[in-house]
Amino acid sequence: MSRYTHLFTPLRLGPLVVKNRVVFSAHLTNYAADGMPTEQHAAYYAARAAGGAGLIITEEHSTHVTDWPYEKLIHGFDPRVIPGYRRITDAVHAHGVPILAQLNHNGGQASSMFSRLPVWAPSPLPDPLFREVPKALELHEIRSVVDGYARVAEHCVAGGFDGVELQCSHSSIVRGFLSPATNTRTDRYGGSLENRARLLLEIVAAVRAVLGPHQALGVRLCGDELIEGGTTIDEAVAVAQLCDATGQVDYINTSIGVATATLYMIEASMQVPPGYAMFIPSAIREAVSIPVVGVGRFKDPLQADRALQAGQADLIGVVRGQIADPDFVRKARAGAAAEIRTCLSCNQECVGRMGLNRWLGCIENPRTGREAVALPLPTRRSQRVLVVGGGPAGLQAAVTAAERGHNVTLFEKADRLGGQVPVAASVPSRAEFLDITRNLVAAAQRVGVDVKTSHEVTAELLRAEAPDAVVLATGAVPNRPWWAGDLARVVDVRDVLEGRAAPQGQVVVVDELGFHQATSVAELLADRGCTVEVMTPGMVVGQDLGITLDLETWNVKAATRAITQTTDVVPMGATADGDRVVLQLQHHPTGTDLSRTADWVVCAVQQRADDALWQQLQGTPFPVHRIGDCLAPRRAHAAVVEGHRVAVSL
Amino acid sequence: MQLTGPVALRGRTAPSRVLFGPHETNLGRGRALSERHVAYYAVRAAGGAGIVVTETASVHDSDWPYERAPLAAECGPGWRAVKDACGDALVLASLGHSGGQGSSAYSQQPLWAPSAVADAVSRELPQVMEPLEIALLTAAFAEAARLAVESGCDGVEVEAGDRSVLRQFLSGITNQRGDAYGAVKGLLLREVLAAVRAAIGPDALLALRLSCDELAPWAGVTPEHALDLVPALEVDLLVVVRAGPYAGSAYRPDAHQPEGFNRDLCAQVRAVAPFPVVLQGSVVTGAFAERALADGVCDLVEMTRAQIAEPALVAHLRAGSAPRPCVLCNQACRVRDARNPIVSCIGEPRSGHETTDPAVRAATGGQGHDVLVVGGGPAGLECARVLALRGHRVELREATAELGGAVQDATLGAGRWRLRQLTEWLAADCARLGVRLQVNAPVTAADLAAYRGAVVLATGSRPRPVAWQVPVLDSRQALRGPVPEGPVLVHDPVGGPVGVSVAEKLAADGREVRIVTGDPIVGTLLSLTGDLADCNTRLQRAGVTRELKALLRRASDGTALLEDVWTGAQREVPCAVVVDCGHRLPLEDLYTTGTPRAGDCVAPRTVLEAVLEGRRRALELSSAPAMVHA
Repeated sequence: MSRYTHLFTPLRLGPLVVKNRVVFSAHLTNYAADGMPTEQHAAYYAARAAGGAGLIITEEHSTHVTDWPYEKLIHGFDPRVIPGYRRITDAVHAHGVPILAQLNHNGGQASSMFSRLPVWAPSPLPDPLFREVPKALELHEIRSVVDGYARVAEHCVAGGFDGVELQCSHSSIVRGFLSPATNTRTDRYGGSLENRARLLLEIVAAVRAVLGPHQALGVRLCGDELIEGGTTIDEAVAVAQLCDATGQVDYINTSIGVATATLYMIEASMQVPPGYAMFIPSAIREAVSIPVVGVGRFKDPLQADRALQAGQADLIGVVRGQIADPDFVRKARAGAAAEIRTCLSCNQECVGRMGLNRWLGCIENPRTGREAVALPLPTRRSQRVLVVGGGPAGLQAAVTAAERGHNVTLFEKADRLGGQVPVAASVPSRAEFLDITRNLVAAAQRVGVDVKTSHEVTAELLRAEAPDAVVLATGAVPNRPWWAGDLARVVDVRDVLEGRAAPQGQVVVVDELGFHQATSVAELLADRGCTVEVMTPGMVVGQDLGITLDLETWNVKAATRAITQTTDVVPMGATADGDRVVLQLQHHPTGTDLSRTADWVVCAVQQRADDALWQQLQGTPFPVHRIGDCLAPRRAHAAVVEGHRVAVSL
Repeated sequence: MQLTGPVALRGRTAPSRVLFGPHETNLGRGRALSERHVAYYAVRAAGGAGIVVTETASVHDSDWPYERAPLAAECGPGWRAVKDACGDALVLASLGHSGGQGSSAYSQQPLWAPSAVADAVSRELPQVMEPLEIALLTAAFAEAARLAVESGCDGVEVEAGDRSVLRQFLSGITNQRGDAYGAVKGLLLREVLAAVRAAIGPDALLALRLSCDELAPWAGVTPEHALDLVPALEVDLLVVVRAGPYAGSAYRPDAHQPEGFNRDLCAQVRAVAPFPVVLQGSVVTGAFAERALADGVCDLVEMTRAQIAEPALVAHLRAGSAPRPCVLCNQACRVRDARNPIVSCIGEPRSGHETTDPAVRAATGGQGHDVLVVGGGPAGLECARVLALRGHRVELREATAELGGAVQDATLGAGRWRLRQLTEWLAADCARLGVRLQVNAPVTAADLAAYRGAVVLATGSRPRPVAWQVPVLDSRQALRGPVPEGPVLVHDPVGGPVGVSVAEKLAADGREVRIVTGDPIVGTLLSLTGDLADCNTRLQRAGVTRELKALLRRASDGTALLEDVWTGAQREVPCAVVVDCGHRLPLEDLYTTGTPRAGDCVAPRTVLEAVLEGRRRALELSSAPAMVHA
């Protein structure tokens, strides 16, 4: 605890006192059902309260029937939410942690798909994501919006919240009014900053009137929309000052970007440096008298403490850090920060699932999103479990099994643990991905897994051991594509990253996976001086990078490295031309043949399951389970989920 | 009419030869069929459907292809409720397993498939099914079928079509096994059908939906394979479809494919099939269906989308009246989308909302009022139609020379001619119901002030102002033509059907065309209609240059300046004329606060919103206590 000078200093937020400076700030979860908060919401927030969060702010609650941009939005305007609110607040308050509800109307950043009503916005300008022309609000409709906020604040008070936060930052009708990019009105709600802020101030007054003096009211503002003609920091500071001047706002929360235009900077992946948005709270804090929250890829308590120490903010929002490890704060306070399951900022199962209308999860934490479902007790304790393979699947199986009281030995044939993770993380911009196995390896040591590296096991050995169960997590091996023949200069991504091949000159990367494999190796080789072209049979190179918000940064990196991208082509064959490779291709939409001559061809293609032990262990008297890539080569999350599941099932 | 008459099937009688096929609805509750499903199927049965096939239920929990996908084990009560609600119509439970075309996102489980071949769309590698999984799958089909029939269904339809592990076993693309199931690709299908028959007994119907062409002749199921396979199948009914791992939209395509595109395939299959055969595939008119029956192409006809558009399709055909047409737009009925949209129809927005939206029925008795509807696009026409149906005296005034509004121009776009059928139907129904339809009849504010009855505004949209230093046309002007000489830049910040259809039409007219989008692909919003990949292919084949990830910064002196959305890099392309397919603005000239209005004059959107709002305004006026204009 002595490491931290500021993190565990209590702070007053109007009527509230928080015990530490870590906020679990608002984020979507898709846990709602039929517009109502669920048991899962309560369990999810309660886990973070139990883990010591200083303040919890729930996901947004819609303030109006015209606002329904995605299916699983909480309909705060419907009084039937109150029992669900009460369930959440009771569960969080049981741990002595205050909880606020975030109120919002998404305005024009929505479609009518669910509401079947016109979308409301200050001006008839379509949102860049939803692309539906909204109805410009008439004055009586503005009054109805303000009334909606007040009504939902009433519901929140009745439901036991300690106050509310107004989301005016990245997807909000209030943002829409504040921003010159989306507000082209000529009446008293458009034009000058005073006019554009009028809706915000009317809402503040209406909500405060409902809350009275004993509930907290926060306002979350965007410090830079990162869009043309949008709000930038000077106006954000001015709006914060307007809020402060009302005397009715207890704190300012901050964010960066517009959810429907520049989301990749709101929920930045590991491609964006930590602390990238702290210029916003820093500037606002200089100008206001109330506490200010800073956010943006805080994944380490020391990092948060330093930002506080530097005066950048009064509180720090740690969202993904607490999605990955609900005990983030408790472990920091106990001086055990090294035990924190550090967030990777990979965005694969949190951000990536949100955009697809799926429940919020975590690549590392198989319990995230499943907090309300109790795990079964082990069928029998202290079983002797042998795990073969030390990648994320095997490590997760070993850790969970040991945590549940089994005696676990893990065999890894290589001299290091982690499977393909260290390989993937060897590309500089992907280094933080290594935390997934770093965290697991540390956990394995803590819970007493007997880890044997450089230890290849055979079916005979496993049979001879006669364990209670064997878990096979033997991974996958590269698969040579049919068209590659035996050309030495057609290699796999893993050959490059594991150092078996060192392409030079002109390189073609063939991408059939659509994820980080091809783009990572392209970036690496371009940095080594190669001329790189990435080609894919798909319509977009790195298609799934869009889900994790890495597509924008990839394209910028590709441009600065002169990496070219070619889509809609299928390899049809490859021949040698001296040392070089001639790749025959077909542009499948037009049926046009083309070719490329390159010094090297690097393949990012599906791997093959390494299931030799599985085949050899058929018919053994003890149960044999198969998890992760040796079942079917997929991404890390599948490995972790299956490792956890098989260990729980023992 | 043969189509609307009964047909006997294994001792049961379907009241017509029209089948309502299985499709995603997102109406489910959890993984069960809901009361919304029941209402949805019940109105189609009441409207004369001969066979209702319920939404495909996964037979085993290893399959959870989309969030609201029914799971057979949870469907018993729903199947019973559907059967009870469907009167004389036969109800079949569609049973399936998506195999490698499923999703691991909901189940958090590996996909099951015959071989380690990643799906072309998801790129996810499946788990190779071993004897254990094959046995579980076969047993699950049998168990699900037993439950369906015990729950009152007249039988089951086994899914081996669009997304199906059974089709994956049939196909050389996805089945590369070295065992007996690889040597005899139809083995699993035969085993499953036998297990299902054993489970449902001799009296229940066993139908099969079979892909008879995967459109991948190098290794996939071809019509020749199907003709070999079909004669030995032991089923009561066969629905002939085309679908495969690379066929994407081929199963239920939009209007870019002709009506009844499976006609020849179906006729070939019927010639070798010892059981009745169903024609599937964009059959949307009674005339086409009747002709297919008369020509011996098939024994029954699947008309799914036609009955989404018009639940009483068969009743209309029997009465000789015109059903509301399906225009094969796929804009609201194709709902395999992560957002879980509810199945609906641009022309019949009550579809999918039967439990919440009131049925639009003719009024009996009561006193009608005078109503003026301003604007003859889909919003105004639907409003006038429903008002007249409710017994009001309606006058519709359209400023231009023809009815249909924005649809009349949209319908000139490539592949979109069918849209016109909807506005023509609306106008014809208005005329039938006595609406005074007036074209070339602009309305002024003074006219409205002097009008004594109620008014509804449906005046549509206007183009947004744009400032480029070359001739600029909006999409509607460009579709009507003429378009000035020289290279055309189609500016499409929307990514919907309009920009694509404009570019295609101009290319077909022999013009040099570029289409500019900020997205990495053209037509992003067309993922919902299924035309996304197809439209990009068509544009490239037509020689249209796709200017992707690009912002149009400037156009002057025969060139346009484009800027990469992410890197800011700029480039120039030839451009003599810009066609702006961007958003439009509401036409609000006649609006005063409180006047009822509908469609694009509220906010320019699609036909769906226009029809929905036109109808709502009509129903609101009909139920309002005082109809007299203030």
